[in-house]
Parts: sequence; structure tokens; C-alpha cells
Amino acid sequence: MTSKRAPSNDLRPAPGERLYRALLHLYPKEFRARYGEAMVEFYRDRWRSDHQHGRGGVWLLWRAVLGDLLSTVPPELLSNLRATNRPTISSQPLPREETMSTLAQDVYFALRGMARRPLFTAIVLATLALGIGANAAIFSVVNGILLRPLPFAEADRIVAFSHEDPYWSISEPEFMDYARDVKSLTRLAAYQPIETSLTGEGEPERVQAARVSDGFFSILGVPTLRGRSFTKEDDMFGRPRVAVVSYGLWQRRFAGDSSIVGQRIALNGTPFEVVGVMPPRFDFPSPKVALWIPLRLRPESLWTRNNHYFVAVGKMRPGIKLSSLTAEVRALDTRWMRDFPETYFPDKVLKARIVPITDHLLGATRPYLISLLGAVGFVLLIACVNVANLLLARGEGRRKELAIRTALGASRKRVVQQLLTESGTLALLGGAIGFALAWLGLRGLIALAPPSIPRLDEVRIDFGVLLFTIVLSVATGLLFGLVPALKVARTDSSESLKDGGKAAAGTGVTRSVRGALVVAEVALAVVMLVGAGLLARSLWKLQAIELGFDPARVLTMRVSLPGQNYSDARAVQYFDDVVTRIRAMPGVQDATAMGWTPLVDGGGGWSIMVDGRVLKTIAESPSSQPAQVTPGYFKTLGISIMRGRAFTEADRQGAPPVAVVNEAMARQLWPGQDPLGHTFKMFNDQAPWVTVVGVARDIRSSGFLADVPPTMFFPYAQAGTSAYYTPRAMTVAVRTAGDPMALAGAVRQAARALDASAPISDVRSMDDVVGASTADRRFMTELLGGFAALALLLAGIGIYGVIAYGVSQRTYEIGVRMALGAGTRKVMLLILGEGLRLTVVGLGIGFAGALVAARFIRSLLVEITIVDPLSLSATALVLLGVAAFACVIPARRASGVSPTEALRGG
Amino acid sequence: MPADRPTSDHFLPLKPVELLVLTMLTAGERHGYGIRQDIAEHTAGTLVLEAGNLYRSIRKLESDGLIDESGRRPAADADDERRRYYRLTALGKRVLAAEMLRLRALVRIAEERRIIAPVHA
Repeated sequence: MTSKRAPSNDLRPAPGERLYRALLHLYPKEFRARYGEAMVEFYRDRWRSDHQHGRGGVWLLWRAVLGDLLSTVPPELLSNLRATNRPTISSQPLPREETMSTLAQDVYFALRGMARRPLFTAIVLATLALGIGANAAIFSVVNGILLRPLPFAEADRIVAFSHEDPYWSISEPEFMDYARDVKSLTRLAAYQPIETSLTGEGEPERVQAARVSDGFFSILGVPTLRGRSFTKEDDMFGRPRVAVVSYGLWQRRFAGDSSIVGQRIALNGTPFEVVGVMPPRFDFPSPKVALWIPLRLRPESLWTRNNHYFVAVGKMRPGIKLSSLTAEVRALDTRWMRDFPETYFPDKVLKARIVPITDHLLGATRPYLISLLGAVGFVLLIACVNVANLLLARGEGRRKELAIRTALGASRKRVVQQLLTESGTLALLGGAIGFALAWLGLRGLIALAPPSIPRLDEVRIDFGVLLFTIVLSVATGLLFGLVPALKVARTDSSESLKDGGKAAAGTGVTRSVRGALVVAEVALAVVMLVGAGLLARSLWKLQAIELGFDPARVLTMRVSLPGQNYSDARAVQYFDDVVTRIRAMPGVQDATAMGWTPLVDGGGGWSIMVDGRVLKTIAESPSSQPAQVTPGYFKTLGISIMRGRAFTEADRQGAPPVAVVNEAMARQLWPGQDPLGHTFKMFNDQAPWVTVVGVARDIRSSGFLADVPPTMFFPYAQAGTSAYYTPRAMTVAVRTAGDPMALAGAVRQAARALDASAPISDVRSMDDVVGASTADRRFMTELLGGFAALALLLAGIGIYGVIAYGVSQRTYEIGVRMALGAGTRKVMLLILGEGLRLTVVGLGIGFAGALVAARFIRSLLVEITIVDPLSLSATALVLLGVAAFACVIPARRASGVSPTEALRGG
Repeated sequence: MPADRPTSDHFLPLKPVELLVLTMLTAGERHGYGIRQDIAEHTAGTLVLEAGNLYRSIRKLESDGLIDESGRRPAADADDERRRYYRLTALGKRVLAAEMLRLRALVRIAEERRIIAPVHA
């Protein structure tokens, strides 16, 4: 019979057996030593038998196993504790109370109580853990990005210095004047972000770099990790060329070679000597900057005052306020407007734009992070309210139990101690799970966040905040766990016993307190839902904006020709060949090369003269964004030609210079006229007049929300004569029949085959480019939406808790009502009405709060106002739905009350 | 009877799981999983024990001296010899009988008061 029951004597381990064996270590050592092997056998038999009969599966087995562990490990540990504390082994065991330490006993009772109410325990623990975990994770992110000081010395004195629209940048003479005349600044340094090709050992590579003037590194106050930064001499024209490399480039390209200082590298074919390495995380002016080279202005032959092309950083004198610095600089600007009328036109005001470096670097991310912080703060509040509510309900339900204990001789101190231990145990467990959740959540956040969010690599879990949230939740637990204890201390225990606990929860005060808590909870959830709704609507509105081109199935790739090897003609030939080769590939519909990628970069703004009118000063001239493109550009990107024609192969060097303009430029220069046949030229004596042969539809080249700048398109082959120069770095775009990334390898190969020394970078689909431009917003919106959903869930649990508890306590009253003739329907409506009343009050308060809170995210909204009827009504509906759902379960229970049972038993 | 010798009554009432384990062992020696299977069979599958719960009871019964580990093994080909088999001790049998008598008295009361119908053997 025995052997019949043993399913098998197979000794191979069953799946999960190792895990089970590991979990057995939770038991005390003696127990494990004695029964561990047998329990593993048991597990194996159990698995085999289940498996043989095709029952359950792993999930069911492990649910049972985990439940078993949870219910037997704590008592086993406790009894082990008792056994070791017992002085002598007596055959007459002493009563438990005398042998067990009071705390251990209380903890044991607490754990036993928790195991006995798994739903209550699970809800409290989950609520605490979510509140703590979400807060610690998000605060860690905000702290890492926003609050922790930037890695600059005296960052509060460093300002980013540029001009307001339409100048944006600073010209060389302006910079020299600012540096000399502005007294509020100790120092000003100019810089210009550039791209350059890094050649030499290994693959040629396109890297981001910055040309910086003397003082750049000393203003930021960051010493080099190795070698030195630039000296005044390095910044002088004609001195040996030197470069400082980033830590990232040093590690990646030079494998952290300790002899890097003194080595030579080639940038665009020109040799530079590496004189220093910056420490990790120094990434000004952009996260991807790989190296810095001196700007080397020539004070004796500066470019003209209207050639604005770089920006600056400055350091304020100690004690100077930003406002006084701005006032001083703007006074200077106003004087220049007067002194150089041929440069600054009256309707184009020169106005300095000076912002603290922190705002400059983090400005775009800040409103999102602040609203996220607000959101998780709300989640924590709701969580605390929920825990308070649940504990209050629980405590009320235990008044009879506590009264019995007191009646049996337990001192009040003892009862209070017991209650505190219970809620403390609960809160600590919740805190522990919350910590794990915070850790996981943070890793998840960092993994999922788009790379465009700055300083994400600096984010670490913030233990201060973790501690704070845990203390807060433990305090909540203790505080509200204490309420029933205090009540016991106040009330006469015989009263509680006499009425059999029937009216125990009827005290008006706690009921209204708990009602108020639910209202608060609902209001907080409303604020979050409205906020998340507004952001989600903004995201949809944003994505619904017509880009003007079709990004689907387009592959883009940046190809940078080594400048010194290519004449203009050879560069034109190269891209002609590349495009021709790619067009011949199967699966390719069209291909083109363009000077810049829409949404990624742009062509700046160049001054022009129009229709033969020679202008006296450049200040009067309109400006437009140049784009050098090969024939096929408009078709490949799906940009409609509204009038005239696109470029053809005939628009070559030597043919009459032509241009296509966008609608914005046509509207600006020739309002109400047909632009075709009109002419314009660069603001330069040598430049030829260019004839407009077509008008292209506007594309949102600078982003979904940015204005469409006036744009002039030149045939790449003519750019050298009609538009100053022939760019050597171009973006190749390919429209494909299927998945564009499937062709990435072949397209890259085609470019490689023609010149292996040309760096290829940024191989990605146009859809990715478009997606990346809204990635921050989408990520933040999804996070906020997630937190709002969490808040909704918690609020729903809160409503359920209050109503369900109310029903269980009012069984007697409901019984009376039904005995007196109230129907099932009426009882259900009574309960539903009570829940919905609380919800509606919460909704009202929440809407008022949402209007206030929405002001903080106003800058993030797109095409909607803060009073968005759709968001508001959707919120109201969702909340009422959740509330109704939360009330239906207890309402049904109430309507199922049997009057006789209710009246007899209570 | 010496004073320090535990009487059967000292162990009563038994916990349900302990009662079940003792009852199942009346059919002969069992290892842990066999006990579980027996219990499941005799309760029509309504009661299934997991390892922790079962071995906690076994520990208790063993230390109280109601069961002990069997030195003998069933036929070698029938089972793995590492398994631990348990059997009732003499004390265990007495305690079980005492408990059954106690339960029978309870059942009688229930029958007399017509909570359950009397069984006429």
C-alpha cells in the first residue's frame, strides 16, 4: 500500500526543487536538519503526482507551497525561539505567556492576525508598498536630475548667455564687447557646438564637439582628470592645435590609455594634440560632447557684427543678482542698437537672454519632474489615508475583542502595546516591500526613460527619501492603529460586551472621520486624473499635428565626407553615386541626400536680398533657412510641391541657379503673388541671383510645436555657387517598400563601398526620429497616467473599505429596515447613495484643486486650456464608475441580509 | 503510575492535523507524502497538507513521543531508502484511542440532540 502511494522512486530533481530547497533555509536550523530532506522528497513526490495526473501545474503547486511556507515559517521560528529560551526541559510545559518574551508574543499574534485576514493584510501592505516605492523611486530621479547640484563649482553664479529671438546667438564683436564691458561678470567664455570627423586608428567617427574660448573650463570650475585644460595661448590663432577629450571618448576610443595626453588625433583631417581628459559626467554643452577645441578668435580681424554664430557662459561676480546683470547687459544692448543702426534694425530688437545654467540645462525637463513629484506625493497621501481608513475600520471591528481582553485582566498598557506592535509590524513589512519596489522601480525607470532626459546616469536611490516615506507610513500605521486602543482605554469594557458589538462602529465621530478621509482621497485622485488627462490629451493633440511630410518607411543615415579629400565636385559626385546605388536596390522606392534631417537639426538662418533690390544694410534683409538637397528629396520625404516643379538632374553646376521655397517663405516675401520666377540671392556680392522654380509645402522641420521657419531649398550640385558652400556631411534618406531598418545594413554598405573613410552615424528610421522628438513627453505622460491609475485604484479601495465596513456594522439596522418593509432595491440604493455622496463631494473638491494644480502644468499643454471639458467629464465618469463598482459589492451584501438573522444574531 | 509519566489525557484534545496523522498511521508505517495521500483519500480530497504544515505536526508528535521513526524499511525495490517512515508508538495508540473516545462522546451528544442522525451499527 505504501509503495502504491509513492508515485515514483525516481531520484532526479523535480523542477523548482532547488528553489524549494533554498527556501527551506527560512526554517530554523534544527527543523531543517531534521526534516529538510524529507520535505524535499515530499515536494518531489507532490510535483510528480500532480504532473502525472495533469493537475494544476507549476502555478498551483507553488501557490500552495508559498502559502505553506508563509503560514509555517513564522510560528516555527517563534517556537524555536521559545524552545531555546526555555531554561529546562520539563515534561509539564509552562503556559506560553510566561515563557515567551512579550514582544515576540505580540509579533507572533500580529503575524497570526495578518495571516488570518489575508485580504486586509494584502491591501494594506500593497498600499504602503506602492506609496513608499513610487515616492522613493521618483524622488530619487528628481533629486538626481534637478536638486543635486550640477557638477560645476559655484553653479549658482554661472549663467548661460545668448540673445532673444531673432538673433539667438552672439557675434564675435559683440562677444568681445560684452567680455570687456559687463562689470557684473567676472568672466565670459564663448562656445560653439560643432560636429567633426574623428579619424586615425579605428573606424572614422562623427563626434559632437565644442569650440570654446579661453576661460570656458575655469568658468565651469571643473578641473581636468588628466593633463590640463586650455591656456590663454592655446586660444590664440597660429599656436599649435590642441584638444581636450571627454572621459567617455577616452574610455571608448582610447580604452582609457594612460598615455593619452600628448597623443595626436585627427579632426576633419587636421592633427590636434590631446592635452587633457575631463572627468566623467562633465558633458557641457551637450550630453554627447566628445571633445573640446579652442575657438581661437582673431581680435585683429573679427567677423562682422551681424554674424551671430556662438553662445556663451559667464560667471557672475559674488553677490550680484541675476536681475542686475540682465539690466546691465540690456542697457548695453540698447546703446548698441543706437550705435550700430546698420546692424540692428529697429523692429529687430537686440536683447540679451541670460538664464542660470541650471535652468539652461534642465529647463525643459523641470515641469515634468515637478508634476511627477506632485503626483507621487499625492499617491503617498492617498496611500496613508487608505491605511488610516483600513486600520480604523479594523480597529472598530475589534472593540469587542479588546474589551474581552481587558475584562480578562489585560492591562490597558498591555492592550495598547499589543495594538501598536500589530500596526508597527504591518507598517514595517509594508516599508520593506516598498523599498524593494523602489529599487525595482528605479531600475525600470532608468531602463525605460528616453535618452534625451538629462543626467539620468546620475540617478541613485535616495535613502533619505526612502527613510522619510517609511517613517511617514510607519507613523500613519502607529497613529491610526492606536485609535481603537485609546477608545478601549476610554470606554467601559462592560458596555462593549453588553451590546454584543452590534453598535460598536456606530459612533458618529469615527464615521464622519472616515467619510472625510474618503472624500480627501477622491479629491486627490481627481486632481491626478485631471492632470494626467490634460497631458494625455496634449500628447494626442501634438501627435495629430501634421508634420507636412511622411515619416513612415524612411531610413536616414548621416554620412560625413573627409573634407580634405573632397572638392565640391567630388562631393557632389559621391552623393550622386550613393543615391544612384541605393535606388537600384530591391525594396527601395526613392532616395536622396539632404543637408540636415528634419526634427534633428536645421540650417540656421541666412540673410538674403530679394528681386534685385540691393539693400544698404544687412539689418533690412529678410532671412531664411537654407537646405541643400539632391533631386528626389521632395518625393523621398513625401513633401508636396504646391506650385512649379521640384529639382531635376538638369539643375547642375553651370545650369541656371534655381531654388524651391517653402510656403512660409513665399508668404513672407511675396504675399498675394505667384513666387515662381521671382529671384533672390545671398547677402553677398559674389553670390548669383537664384530663380524660384517651385513652392513646397511647409514641413514642421523644427518640431511639432515650433513655427515653420521660411526655408529655401537649393540643388546640392549648385549649393557651392548659389548658397556659399557645398556641405560635406549629408543625411541620406531612403524610402522603402517595407521595414526601413531591414535595409540599414545594405544602405550603409553602399556608402562604405564608395568611401570606407567616411564616418557613418545616426542610422535610424524617420519614425524613430519623430518618436524621439516627443519621447520625453510621452514617457512623462505615461508615468503620470500610471500614477493616476494607481491613485484611482487606491481611492476605489478606500471607498470600498468604508462602505463595506459600514454595511457589516449596520447589519442590525438594515435588518430592521427590511423587517419594516424596505425592499432589496431600496437597501441597495441606500448603500450606493452613501458611497456616491462621498464621491461627489470629493469630485467637487478635486475639481477645484485640479484647476489650481493645472496651472503648474500649463506650459506643457498643447492646444487645450486648463479647463478642458473632455478631461474633466472623463474624470468624473471614471471616478463615479469606480465608486459605484466599489459600492456594489457591499450593497449586494446588504440587500442579501436576512431580517430574522440580523435581528436575532446581530 | 509514576507522577512524571505523561497520561494520555495530558495530550488531549489533539489538533485536527495531529489527529489525522495519527489515524492514518494506524494502517501501518508511512512516509510524509504517503500520509498526505492517505489524508487526501480519506477526506475525499478536501484536506491536502503541505510539507511545512505536515512536518511541523510530525515534529510535535515525535517530540511528544506519540510517533517515532521506523527503523525498518519496506521491500528495498519498493522505495527509496532515504525516506523516513513513521509509525505509532504505544503511547500514540493510547492517546489516539483516548481522543477517539472523547470524540465519540461528543458525537453521542450531537446524535441525541438530533444534530446528526444516529448511526445504527
